[in-house]
Amino acid sequence: MEDQLNAAAGEAVVNDSVAVSEAVIPQKKKRKPINQQKLQDNIWGWAFCLPLIVGTVLFVYVALIIALLLSFTAFNTNSGGVWEYLGKLFGGDKSVFDMTAVGGKEYDPFYWYRFAFTENVWAGSKWQGSHFTDETYTQTYTMNAMGATLFNTVFYLIGIPIGMVLSMFFAVCMSRDIKGGNVFRVLYYIPCVASTIAIVYTFKILFKVDGLINNLLGTNLPWMMDVNEEYAWNPSIDTWWSQGMLTKTMIVIMAVWKGLGGTIILYVAGLSGVNASTKEAAQIDGANAWSIFWKVTMPDLYPVIFYNVVTAVIGGMQIYAEPELFFPTDTSIGPNLMTSGFVSLIWFHGIAKTPAYASQGAAYGMILAVIIFVLTLFQFWLDSRKKD
Amino acid sequence: MTNETENNVPEKTYSSFRYALGAVLAFFGISTRTHHAGKKRAKLVGDIVTYIVLLFGAFIMVYPFWWMLASSFAWTFTAYPEGSEMAINFSHIVWWPQITTINTNDTVPYGGAFYNYYVVLNVAFQTGAMSYLAPMGYWRVLLNNLLYSVVPVAVGVITSAAAAFSFAKINWVGRNKVFMFLLAAIMVPGPSIMTAQYVMYKSWGMAGDSGLALIIPGMFGSIMTAFFIRQFLFGLPTSIIEAAKIDGAGYFRIFCGFILPLAMPAIVAQGLLSFMGCWNNYLASYIFIDNDSQWINLPHAMFLVNQRYENSNIAPTIAASVLCVLPVLVLFACFQKMIIGSLMLTGSKE
Repeated sequence: MEDQLNAAAGEAVVNDSVAVSEAVIPQKKKRKPINQQKLQDNIWGWAFCLPLIVGTVLFVYVALIIALLLSFTAFNTNSGGVWEYLGKLFGGDKSVFDMTAVGGKEYDPFYWYRFAFTENVWAGSKWQGSHFTDETYTQTYTMNAMGATLFNTVFYLIGIPIGMVLSMFFAVCMSRDIKGGNVFRVLYYIPCVASTIAIVYTFKILFKVDGLINNLLGTNLPWMMDVNEEYAWNPSIDTWWSQGMLTKTMIVIMAVWKGLGGTIILYVAGLSGVNASTKEAAQIDGANAWSIFWKVTMPDLYPVIFYNVVTAVIGGMQIYAEPELFFPTDTSIGPNLMTSGFVSLIWFHGIAKTPAYASQGAAYGMILAVIIFVLTLFQFWLDSRKKD
Repeated sequence: MTNETENNVPEKTYSSFRYALGAVLAFFGISTRTHHAGKKRAKLVGDIVTYIVLLFGAFIMVYPFWWMLASSFAWTFTAYPEGSEMAINFSHIVWWPQITTINTNDTVPYGGAFYNYYVVLNVAFQTGAMSYLAPMGYWRVLLNNLLYSVVPVAVGVITSAAAAFSFAKINWVGRNKVFMFLLAAIMVPGPSIMTAQYVMYKSWGMAGDSGLALIIPGMFGSIMTAFFIRQFLFGLPTSIIEAAKIDGAGYFRIFCGFILPLAMPAIVAQGLLSFMGCWNNYLASYIFIDNDSQWINLPHAMFLVNQRYENSNIAPTIAASVLCVLPVLVLFACFQKMIIGSLMLTGSKE
């Protein structure tokens, strides 16, 4: 291309041909240093990234592939090393799909998925004893373990809209032109940095039947349904509420309280980015504060809110520590189906019980990954519909 | 004259009650048809209401921590004997534990008012069911926690910064594809792959009776940290790097000499946030490390100690909670400007 151009130039302007040829030669010489530079760029670019790439591939992608492969097998704590087992799988050894030990067929790759959806019905007799306090109350639910824990997980998502409204309210308060707004921001962020376990043990006592919260409200609600609690069974309260709903409500209260500060900071940052001149123009036109908030501020804040909702749903579907710390899993029976999130099933079946079937945990994990992926896609679909 | 008074008649039809209400509302900065409130008054009243609301919220946010601190000083050795209802419930403590049933012939145990801390440091973490932590007890767990939150974070932040530098300032083939490949890994939920990670780490001897599972993966850096430092680096002028290149500096020298010092605020803020995350990380230790291992971290050990004390005396658990929260709160108090600034800049939450 350059040569052609040069040739054309040479033909057209004969007088300048010498100058052109002189200009061409240094250009050709320059190419080598440029390539050298590019080589350096490529080498160092890859070198600087290498640790992160290796870490991500090894601890995320390889783990994902292994989890997917294992979820079709009968791998458990007695199966030996995982690499030998995967070697057997790739070697065509069909014994890895043998589920007879756990009640399946001899060749049954989808056993764990079928199990998750059909088996393990939440029968009263099975879960009574360590988790239900009232023996006269007969269970009428026929939910399997996955349904029950998924229901709990979705119930905890209620905290997201509540937290959003509250944090928006406080963020608007803090964005007012007042002294000491920064101090409040710091104070509200304290629960976010504090250890979950310390907070849970504090709340566990504050929410006891004769604890501070009940004293304050003048009630004796069994927030902490607990076997060791003599008041745990309170006949004056609707069974539906006392069999897990109150405990879940308490966990939502704690999660909202703990997560408020982070969202507030997000919204304060968003509010400071709202176009001030548009606001002023609306004010001059006679709009009141309420309509300015809804018509000017909210549309500007929409990306922040959307980001917050997406991350909160992804995080909320993975809730584990809070219910687990409040109501620990009995590793000989299973997760507390009244409160545990879905992740408890993965942990219990994959790691905690004896013998632990890592493949069962992996299958539950794959189901969770699909659910989260679909939920995220759904939110982005809603977002794209809003823009149209 | 008469016409004018007649025109004003509709205004006068308001009842005296309405007038009084208008006056009161105007005092509180709300304009009505009868009275007009000044802008200054409206702002003042709004500010006062805002302060009241914010102070109320701040009280709710901080009170549980105060309660935690107060309860940790409950004199469990006399007022609430171990196993008694009082020692389990603590329900009477609102501002400060009552110390009413102390007798003059009660012998004050070692530690005095700090008795519960004495129990945490010398008894709770090293006797009975926890005897496998025997010689060092609480200090062992604390050292473990420091190891798990300092080493991976210090190394991981540097590797993340290196990756961020490469993504922000170096042009290399496949850069954007690799970046998308890494970002896609965020979509994989951690719990989905934790059983596979567990069996992997177990096969390498990193899980079970070893804390390596909490150290080594973190040293490879984190994608989110790299992402946020990259956002920060985009704000730095490329001309510095070009100038350094012309002066003959290699990329490694540019990274050590320019990028690390210039991006220090972002790196430190991200490092502090990761440190707090690792310090409070209950899940990883609970999954990867056995309950009876010496390598458990602080939250995990607190879980086990609570199981032991829950039905006899909860004061040690509360004291341990205070000790667990304290270092993080002190760090946060020292670096709050940097941390909050970084959060507001990057729009991340944790």
